[in-house]
Amino acid sequence: MSIVDPAHVRQVEAIANGTVIDHIPADMTLKVANLLAQGDDQVFIGINLRSSRVGRKGVVKISGREIVGRDASALALIAPSATICIIRNYQVISKQQVEVPPWFDDIARCANPNCVTNHERWPTRFGVVVANPLTVRCTYCERSFDAGELSLLA
Amino acid sequence: MPSLAGRHVLSIADFSRDEILHILATARDLAARPRRDLLQGRLMATLFFEPSTRTRLSFEAAMQTCGGGVIGFSDAASSSTKKGESLADTIRMVEQYADVIVMRHPRDGSARLASEVSRRPVINGGDGANQHPSQTFLDLFTIAGLFPALLEGAPLTLAFAGDLKYGRTVHSLLTALHHFPTVRVLTVAPRGLEMPEHHLAEAKAFGVTVTPCASLQEAVEEADVLYMTRLQEERFPDPLEFDHIKASYRITAAMLKSAKPALRILHPLPRVNEIAQDVDATVHAHYFQQAGNGIPVRQALVALVTGAC
Repeated sequence: MSIVDPAHVRQVEAIANGTVIDHIPADMTLKVANLLAQGDDQVFIGINLRSSRVGRKGVVKISGREIVGRDASALALIAPSATICIIRNYQVISKQQVEVPPWFDDIARCANPNCVTNHERWPTRFGVVVANPLTVRCTYCERSFDAGELSLLA
Repeated sequence: MPSLAGRHVLSIADFSRDEILHILATARDLAARPRRDLLQGRLMATLFFEPSTRTRLSFEAAMQTCGGGVIGFSDAASSSTKKGESLADTIRMVEQYADVIVMRHPRDGSARLASEVSRRPVINGGDGANQHPSQTFLDLFTIAGLFPALLEGAPLTLAFAGDLKYGRTVHSLLTALHHFPTVRVLTVAPRGLEMPEHHLAEAKAFGVTVTPCASLQEAVEEADVLYMTRLQEERFPDPLEFDHIKASYRITAAMLKSAKPALRILHPLPRVNEIAQDVDATVHAHYFQQAGNGIPVRQALVALVTGAC
């Protein structure tokens, strides 16, 4: 019988191929999982895990799918401090901090109830005003919001 | 100066100092030397999805006094919106008929949406609580007409009074003043209706000093321009509180005795109680001339964006 060093026990199951989103603020973990999970995706979630960087963190692992493009942009809106690791054959192929794009196109609903985008079928657009903490401005109603005030579009 | 032909007029923040000065200079020329055929052969569509008196009439008068034609509606009930047509489709249809579209709409951001589907210039005549740029141009035109040295960098004290939280004319004018940092801004507002923090922060970033004033009387004594706005009863949950505050935000002729002789009072109108009628006969009243400036300023905007001058 081998002895396992507790410091090296994985806190969440390893995946063979797919994406690991790490360093998610703990309270945003389920939101990230809901955002990224599609169809029959196998999703592993860890909440309140130890993190030397952010204290308590969340981890979401999505088996079989690499997160890029629109999903990665949406991630920047709700968890800009997170990292995205692409996994192939249990190996980390790439690891990078979520990149905050200059624009968020049709990703979130405007929090201003009188904004035209909440009344017409029209894509939303937000420009980044401040990257950290993330503050964005609606291109249409010109109101600025903390990223946490916005809800993601389905 | 690059041409403004084809430009949309959506928000004062979209315009540089040079462009603002060019628009004011064009309006000044048109006020001094009216051109009855400047817009001949051009058609303006006025799409007023909510009621307006001054803005619609002054755009229509501006167009017609320069020989242009006007089509449009003044009430959403008489448009296809009532039948469920989207705003984008209404604009796609109207742009086939007119050279320029002037629009007022109750939703914030509606003018920008319209501009994205229109090949014709869209002029925002007020989009919800957001922007009303032609009002800002006419406010600046009025102030620059009274104090021309401002454009050369002379100091000026401008006091904003009333509802500074929701008043879009005040926010837009403050944004325009980012290009004129020699203006010292004073503010007088009831508690809870003060200028929003982000507007103050933006002004500061552009070097514009904004200082709260203890009372309307103090503002009257310090200002060169007093920009009054209407207090809206619906902003006050308690009618008694509204009555009390309304009384303290009313300017009377007696209060103007200690004002600078050059003080001029502006108001985007309509006024209700905030300026007593006895002020009208004083040298300080300038709000009706301000409204009249809507004609040359809107002539200039329409002429420039349609490429007529």
